[in-house]
Amino acid sequence: MSESVFSPGIDPPSPTLSARLRELADYLAAPAAGRLTEEQRALSLGIARRMVADVAARLDPAIDPAALWHEWLGGGLPSATRLAGVCFARAEEHRWREQSAQRTSPPPLLSEPEAVNDEAAAVGETLSDLDRAYLAVQIADRRRFDALGNPAIAIADLDSETFRTLLLDIAAWRLAEVSRDAKRAAELGDAVRAETERQAAESGIAGAGRAYFAALGTDAGEAAAAAIARHDWPTLLALAAAAHGRGYDDMALALLTAESAALPPLFAPLRLDNIAIAPIEASLVMLPARAVNGADHPDFRSAERAR
Amino acid sequence: MNERVIRGRIDRSGALVSADAPLLRLQQRAGAGLDKPLALPHLARLVTLAQRLHRDISRPLYAADDHSDIHALVRITPDADGASLEITDWRTRPLVQPQMPPIAEGAVVPQSWTWECDQQLRIVALRRAPDAPPVPEGWEGCSLSEVFELQPDDDGRFPVLRALARQARFDGQRVRAAQTGMILAGEALFDATGRFTGFRGSAVAAEAQPAADQKAGGALVDPAFGSLPLSDPQFGRRIDGALRGPLSRIIATAETISGQFDGPIRADYARYAGDIAHAGRHLLGLVDDLADLQNIERPGFKAARDEIDLGDLARRAVGLLGMKAEEKGIRIDAPRTDDRAPAYGEFRRVLQVLLNLLGNAIRYSPENSQIWIRVDREGGRATVTVADQGQGIDADQQAVVFEKFERLGRTDSGGSGLGLYIARRLARAMDGDLTVDSAPGQGARFTLSLPARDVD
Repeated sequence: MSESVFSPGIDPPSPTLSARLRELADYLAAPAAGRLTEEQRALSLGIARRMVADVAARLDPAIDPAALWHEWLGGGLPSATRLAGVCFARAEEHRWREQSAQRTSPPPLLSEPEAVNDEAAAVGETLSDLDRAYLAVQIADRRRFDALGNPAIAIADLDSETFRTLLLDIAAWRLAEVSRDAKRAAELGDAVRAETERQAAESGIAGAGRAYFAALGTDAGEAAAAAIARHDWPTLLALAAAAHGRGYDDMALALLTAESAALPPLFAPLRLDNIAIAPIEASLVMLPARAVNGADHPDFRSAERAR
Repeated sequence: MNERVIRGRIDRSGALVSADAPLLRLQQRAGAGLDKPLALPHLARLVTLAQRLHRDISRPLYAADDHSDIHALVRITPDADGASLEITDWRTRPLVQPQMPPIAEGAVVPQSWTWECDQQLRIVALRRAPDAPPVPEGWEGCSLSEVFELQPDDDGRFPVLRALARQARFDGQRVRAAQTGMILAGEALFDATGRFTGFRGSAVAAEAQPAADQKAGGALVDPAFGSLPLSDPQFGRRIDGALRGPLSRIIATAETISGQFDGPIRADYARYAGDIAHAGRHLLGLVDDLADLQNIERPGFKAARDEIDLGDLARRAVGLLGMKAEEKGIRIDAPRTDDRAPAYGEFRRVLQVLLNLLGNAIRYSPENSQIWIRVDREGGRATVTVADQGQGIDADQQAVVFEKFERLGRTDSGGSGLGLYIARRLARAMDGDLTVDSAPGQGARFTLSLPARDVD
């Protein structure tokens, strides 16, 4: 909202009033569109907080992330629009994975050590290139959680522009906090440059996905089908992103907002048929409050009613 | 994932005109059959939806038979003459699922790391709490035992290796890492196909681990086979979770083999598989009974006091077991719709007792015989009597028939010997009783009596 929602002559509003009026104006502009649920809001906010803390720690370990976040919460996050997309994509992916994990069948139970399976017996075997590439996807994915298992964004997964913008915003806050002397500013400037270069050299889940996709070659479709069967959504997303040449977040958002009819094209490069895709459709349809493209379509509405 | 596709066909009127065996069996258990309207409400709704949308839809399908819940995926393709069904990923599952708590649920222990490894114990995640020692560099993809120097417990065992063999959680694995002693604990992880995928857990500095945690951890070393006493209220739930899943899988797989869904096999092998499924169902019934037993033997167990009608409940029981009786050509003479016997008792528990009595009557009645169910009122008691034309029970046997695990010398796999014991316990918990009246060769009459309810 760039234009003012206040009549001339009225006192400047409080930030709270201003935020509420902006929200109302957005609502009035599209009353029928589904809004963020509290869960989506909380997840996205938590992801943003952890991301800001991680970036701040890289820039200057002396930064107090709690103070930074507290101040930004009061005044609003700089570059909020830029952060919204990545945080929302990560939050929606997390909701989907959590739902799948909760619906997973109970594990088999083996009573005796003799019942150990073949996989366990293979502990310590040398890794093939393909296994190594798959392991790299797993590692890159687990970097997208904090120590307590909460969803987060790995710095290596951020696009360089977002990362640099965030670095600069935090550097500006830090500079205002400590002092404005030229030496400090120069140090922060150097840190921004060094961290930008370091981040550019890092490879996140998208890179790991591309390497795994390349290692699979013509078997990529089969691996994707197996990932679907296992509900291993990050591996599936990484493969699909690599097959399309898109970013992981971009792919996640595309999938999580796709209506059923849009799913086959998303997996066409992996040559997955409708039967293979069926579990994805079934799993997505159970995810509540999904921001589905074409949600205003009459078919979608009748489907929602039927559920 | 079960890759087999189960197919079915619905005609324009909504009737199931063809179905592979598992789908047909489900339809029959729901009281319908071929050329009858689809009797599975969820599936019927999905078919209607696909027909209204005029396009294929794929949805999760939930159904239930008398032993377990069924979870599958269905793809419905509507056309001018009805719709085709393709059901995949058919899984039977227990009613209550043991859920693995996320890491965040545990108490935040200071000076700890969290870690995750794959099924070959290669580390895929290692993070530290803010006050914990730094994690070693280059841990990515290393073996768990490279990052953590494993040390045996007092019995010379390695809990993590034992847990790997059992694919179960572990606790109390002593390790050394970052020049300090730590205790490793982990949950086993599984994917949607039930395949073991690794462990996720924490590594806590040995001196930082709270004593209470250690005690709790020791008691939970193995949730399925730990030495938990029968009096532990957790026991029932654990044994339930531990046995239902594997048993459901055994039954489902044995039924798949027995039904020769993946192609013909030798008839005797199919019969063996049928025997396995039958034995599995028997064991599952025993799990149900044990869970019930554990529940009703708890001190202070009390049933609810619902306003019920024994006539109505008897008719419901007949509706549920009518098919089973028909299979043996047994006719059930149920109370008429205007036969009423208002009483006080817990609705589902009374139904459970009646299903047990009627189930026994069907099981032990000769083919093409008759079973009577009568309701009555005697003073302050409302009664329902189930009478059969079976072999009957002599006086000695009547004295023990309600005892735990008593099967009157029968060795078939028909029951656990707990049903009547549980039924009588339930009746008495509702201020009622369960009695038997019989003589050899003259069938048996079981009478459930409950406090009568006056209706204005």
